[in-house]
Amino acid sequence: MAYLSMGEAHRRITEFLNRFSDAVSYQDGSSLKQLFSLSSNSPFLLSLADGLNLFQDANRLIKQSEKYSQFGDIIIPLFRSIQSYKAGNLVDAYNAFEKSANAFIHEFRNWESAWALDSLYVIAYEIRVLAERSDRELASNGKSPDKLKGAGSFLMKVFGVLAGKGQKRIGALHVTCQLFKIYFKLGTVHLCRSVIRSIETARIFDFEEFPKRDKVTYMYYTGRLEVFNENFPAADQKLSYALTHCNPQSEANIRMILKYLIPVKLSIGILPKEWLLEKHNLVEYRKVVQALRRGDLRLLRHALQEHEDRFLRSGVYLVLEKLELQVYQRLLKKIYIIQKQKDPSKAHQMKLEVIAKTLKWLEIDMDLDEVECIVAILIYKNLVKGYFAHKSKVVVLSKQDPFPKLNGKQMNS
Amino acid sequence: MMDFWKATTPPQQPLPPPTTPTVLQNDAVKGDADDMMNQGSNTQTVAPAGPNSLETRHVTDASQGETASYFPSTTRSEAVLWTLPRADNPSVENGTPSSDYPYEQQPMRIIQDGSNATSAASSSSLGTTNASQAYNGYASYPNSSDPYGYGNAGYPGYYSGYHQHQQTNHSYAQPAEAYQNTGAPHQPISSFKNTGSYAGPASYSGTYYNPGTYQTAGAYPSGGYSNQTTVWNEGNYANYAPHQYSNYISDTTGTYSSGTVAATTQQYQQHYQQWADYSSQTEVICAPGTENLSVASTSNQGLSAPSTSIVYPTSNSQPPPSSNPSWRPDSGLSELPSLQPNAAASGAHDSYWKQRVPSFQNHHASPVQTHFQKPLDSQNSYNNFQDQQKSAYPQVPNSQNPAPHQVLQSFQSPHRVPQTYQPPHLVPQTYQPPHLVPQTYQPSHLVPQTYQSPQPQNCQSPQQSVPSLDLRRGTKVQIPTNPRIASNLALGLPKSDKDSYTASATVKPAYISVSLPKPNDSVSSNDAVNGVIKPDSFPKSLRGYVERALARCKDDAQLAACQAAMKEIITKATADGTLHTRDWDTEPLFPLPSPNIANKDNLHYAAPVSSLPKFKRSPSRRSKSRWEPLPEEKSIDKPVSVSNDTVKYGGWDRKPLSVNSNSKEDGLTSAKFSLNNKKFSSKNAQRRVKKQRLADACNAADNGDASSDSDKKQTLTAYYSGAIALANSPDERKRRENRFKRFEKGQGNQAEINYSKAKKVGNENLYNRRASALVLSQNFDDGASKAVEDIDWDALTVKGTCQDIEKRYLRLTSAPDPTTVRPGEVLQKALLMVQNSHKNYLYKCDQLKSIRQDLTVQRIHNQLTVKVYETHARLALEVGDLPEYNQCQSQLMTLYAEGIAGCHMEFAAYNLLCVILHSNNNRDVLSSMSRLSDKAKQDEAVKHALAVRRAVTSGNYVMFFKLYKSAPNLNACHMDLYVEKMRYKAVSCMSRSYRPTVPVSYIANVLGFTRVLPINEVSREVSDGLEECLEWLKAHGACLTTDNIGELQLDTKTSSSSLYMPEPDDAVAHGDASLAVNDFLARTSL
Repeated sequence: MAYLSMGEAHRRITEFLNRFSDAVSYQDGSSLKQLFSLSSNSPFLLSLADGLNLFQDANRLIKQSEKYSQFGDIIIPLFRSIQSYKAGNLVDAYNAFEKSANAFIHEFRNWESAWALDSLYVIAYEIRVLAERSDRELASNGKSPDKLKGAGSFLMKVFGVLAGKGQKRIGALHVTCQLFKIYFKLGTVHLCRSVIRSIETARIFDFEEFPKRDKVTYMYYTGRLEVFNENFPAADQKLSYALTHCNPQSEANIRMILKYLIPVKLSIGILPKEWLLEKHNLVEYRKVVQALRRGDLRLLRHALQEHEDRFLRSGVYLVLEKLELQVYQRLLKKIYIIQKQKDPSKAHQMKLEVIAKTLKWLEIDMDLDEVECIVAILIYKNLVKGYFAHKSKVVVLSKQDPFPKLNGKQMNS
Repeated sequence: MMDFWKATTPPQQPLPPPTTPTVLQNDAVKGDADDMMNQGSNTQTVAPAGPNSLETRHVTDASQGETASYFPSTTRSEAVLWTLPRADNPSVENGTPSSDYPYEQQPMRIIQDGSNATSAASSSSLGTTNASQAYNGYASYPNSSDPYGYGNAGYPGYYSGYHQHQQTNHSYAQPAEAYQNTGAPHQPISSFKNTGSYAGPASYSGTYYNPGTYQTAGAYPSGGYSNQTTVWNEGNYANYAPHQYSNYISDTTGTYSSGTVAATTQQYQQHYQQWADYSSQTEVICAPGTENLSVASTSNQGLSAPSTSIVYPTSNSQPPPSSNPSWRPDSGLSELPSLQPNAAASGAHDSYWKQRVPSFQNHHASPVQTHFQKPLDSQNSYNNFQDQQKSAYPQVPNSQNPAPHQVLQSFQSPHRVPQTYQPPHLVPQTYQPPHLVPQTYQPSHLVPQTYQSPQPQNCQSPQQSVPSLDLRRGTKVQIPTNPRIASNLALGLPKSDKDSYTASATVKPAYISVSLPKPNDSVSSNDAVNGVIKPDSFPKSLRGYVERALARCKDDAQLAACQAAMKEIITKATADGTLHTRDWDTEPLFPLPSPNIANKDNLHYAAPVSSLPKFKRSPSRRSKSRWEPLPEEKSIDKPVSVSNDTVKYGGWDRKPLSVNSNSKEDGLTSAKFSLNNKKFSSKNAQRRVKKQRLADACNAADNGDASSDSDKKQTLTAYYSGAIALANSPDERKRRENRFKRFEKGQGNQAEINYSKAKKVGNENLYNRRASALVLSQNFDDGASKAVEDIDWDALTVKGTCQDIEKRYLRLTSAPDPTTVRPGEVLQKALLMVQNSHKNYLYKCDQLKSIRQDLTVQRIHNQLTVKVYETHARLALEVGDLPEYNQCQSQLMTLYAEGIAGCHMEFAAYNLLCVILHSNNNRDVLSSMSRLSDKAKQDEAVKHALAVRRAVTSGNYVMFFKLYKSAPNLNACHMDLYVEKMRYKAVSCMSRSYRPTVPVSYIANVLGFTRVLPINEVSREVSDGLEECLEWLKAHGACLTTDNIGELQLDTKTSSSSLYMPEPDDAVAHGDASLAVNDFLARTSL
């Protein structure tokens, strides 16, 4: 670090203080938010940290002037946070930042207009990112990482501040999205429920009123929640909304949405085109889709095994696994088509042995009881129309549309 | 602190009965210990003050008959109760003033003590408060309650400890205060109590009482309290007013010996007789009280001589001569004169002064008596204390107690001469155990150095006391619950009483206020100190540096000077921000300051008049260094202190104001206390410290400070003295602060060490541990730098001694008792016994739970633990006791995560099955699947579990029941719980898919009915399965037909609409079969 004179340090600190008080007095949200943007690593804040390290008495400086001292509760911990951040002490940085953010919320509550909403966004973002990083630091030190949890409860508080009438309410969705990110990270998605309820049922919120980016994020997360619940039509609707409204430039976001939307679509019988998978580099689904097209159970199982970790992590494994029945359906359909070519009059009677033989060709070892069970399930789930005659071990298919398509409907459970 | 308080106080209140017992115990303890330890006990009581209500109550109890009333309603309710007792007591007291009270109270206390000891958690909390009291400390230690008290007191405990220490130090002086306080309200009691509670307690008690009265006015609805207090006051006042004052005065110096002493001594004697029952202890206590008083005076004299360097020892041996001159006030004689002069000086406070004067005279008269008594008492008390402790807390004593006891003993020996001193020391010692820090104290106490610290403390304490008085006056609103608050209340009363002050009431209030504030102050001061300089926050290297620096000191004076220098260095470093960056290991030690400096400072104090201006100056400094880290507070403190000084000097009215301001500033205690209380407490804390210091100084008389303090006290009322102490030169303050800090540090560290030692010892008291835990927690709070995970829980664990292999499970409601906890070897046998037992599951479950409890309590995490949990989990699985199984499973997961070998895979599979089959949460399934390692996926059991998952999610019933038949381990037991669901699903699926019929034999085969009774003979197997299946199908509404061959068929078409899930036959309340005892018995009695 280059040598820093006391005067320079003092200058930097006063510049920050001036910027802060100016931003507040002019209600300049965009310049105010820069002052909180710790993780932006802006040279201004980094040099301020150096100044603070040198100039010990910044607090006195703040207290000296009425102009600054009214924001002392915000700035003093913020300074500490900046210092700790620069020093790489993320836990301290987080703690101080939360203190500062609390004080900011307090002020924000008193501001009539929503001019500082941008700053609040930045704070919500920073506190989450800081919490994640300090949790990593804590975990590496063998301590229990609880900062993200703390950030979650802080943002809950922020949500409470915003969830009211007035201009500020449009910020509520942004905070909600930050909360979603935290909850999904922590694996406490059940906590999303209360926020969602207030967003979707509270009359003060008109969903279309929210900023688009927040709406997209919100839809993405709620769509994911529906995937967990295996409520595929709802998931399809939400994720599709996110996809259509997502900024086409943000490739990563589109890919994230597709990662969930594709399994959802598959589950309701809609297969993606090959180019879509390739364009968004979602090749892990390629084999799955192929298996569905071909009725190749082995391929599906291989695909699932191959990407098991990935699918488990993203939470679509169970969804994809359930595609198996559709693959069986496809397989039976193929048999049916072949039988029909051979002897159209007996095509609707499918012997269990035939099915078992085809499965054997696929190197899937199943005894007749199991195959019978699969067929029963297919009929039960309405993937196959017809009935099974146990005595003769024959599947009797309906003569009309024996293999109904899902066509966007969810398979009977 | 605050938290603790809050936490503790509520429980206390809810547990009035226990409190009373505790109080009794405390009293008893106090009686015994106090007598001997009076000062010590007092200090303890002071410490309890932290716990406030409890302590205060205890104090009050100890001091007055009121204690009884206190018991019932820890706070207000008690007040009512109190009224009656008080009335009695007062009358008695009035007639035979203190003696009656003391008697009643003491016995009561004793009883209570016993009960407290017995009383578990609730009592413990109370106990804590009790513990906080001087005796409490002792008693509490032995008792679980005590530890709790500490814990509860937490900070209070610390504080109290500090206070105690201070007080103890002060106790000489403070004791007097305490005595006075108690004396004032309950003169006889006070004497006793004083002995017990002594300086700390006395003051607290006084405060308490006052609070009580005050409270009656304010927080305390019950007039009883106030009445009592008033009664007491009146009675006492009439009799005691002078005494009290004298006591006060004596406190400052030897104070105890003062008028109160004279009166008390007689009373004490009576008490002693009465106490005879208690045996020597009570007597001793009483005697100690009186003795203490007298001793105090004597000690003062003696102290005066030693004061410069070694307070106690010197005081004893040296007492009279040398010290007298230097100590002006110190010796009883000297004090008397000084007091009188003071009185003259302070015309405004004529009444006070007058009283004081008499008291002084009394002191003079008493000193001789006291002296005589003191030695005896002190010895007795010591003995008693020790005996009591041993008897009461045999277990505890071993580990922690020993140290404290020893310390005490050691103290005692040195102290014996200064008997009065000893008590306080004892108290500190008791505190010490919890604090560990005490070690520092101990050294200090044992060594002259400690004395030094005490001296400063004393000085502070007096000062504090003065402020406290002011506070009291200023803050009328006190909350009885918190001892400190109580003190506050006392303060509040004083306000109202201001007018009355001049009258008898004034005297009482003064006492009360003084006493209360003192504890509060001391506590707060401790807090403040803690807050300002957190030992925890200091780098280790710095601690080492401080230790090195202090190690060079050869005597108290040097130590004090050294501390002052250290403090400067540290504060400077803190200001520079180099505190944590500087390499303290290589930092050169500053030149050893000459003791003269310290003496000089002391001298400053000596002159009361001069001290006033000084005080004003000092406050500001103090505020900076000591109290709050916040600049605002500092600034406030300064003005406050000034105002206090002025007020003190000028008139009481101002004082209250100043007090208020102080309290506001401090804010440390605020959270726990009511606002008023908070304020007061904070102020009080400071004052307390000052008071303590003053008291110490007076008592010790070693230092010039003491003499000066005593003089001041004499000249001014206790309040004044307190103010003076506060006003004391900044240097002194710094020193005090340093000392306090040191103690804190020491406490924290020592506590841990002690605990660890205790562990090693083997027989550790749970109480002690708890106390330590509390202390630790307190430290944690104080320092805020100490994370919960930093607490050394290892030091708090129990080591069982029970050899019984069989033990019924009983959910713990208190700290575990080592005598009922089985060590690992025995648990091993117990596990074997359970495994080989042929009794039913209920018995085994009970046994296993008790084994688990013992393991948990002793924090045993090894293969035995794993075995126990695995055994229990399997047993629970076999009988389908899911709740119990889940407990074991979650424990096992953490145990495996710690790397302890066991049947990890088996239970991983169980876990998986559990999630799959019993929770419908896909996320849980996903996460538990993703947690499986590759190695785990190769395990047969895990593979099986994964296959089951597959079968379940796909609804493949054929696969499911195939897996059911081939399940390894107890996987089938898990699946058992899902079989019913799976069968129902399967049959509804079949009835939908199959046409026209399905043979029942096929269903029975596919749905696993053939394996229901695997033990049966092969020949009967099939038919049994068929019958079972038939029954099941019928029970679920299936339609059956017979085909032309005569084979039973399921008519799928009609069944598809008639199937239903029947109510389970074995439906039980709460929908939890595991709760049905009869079911268990029926199923498991094989």
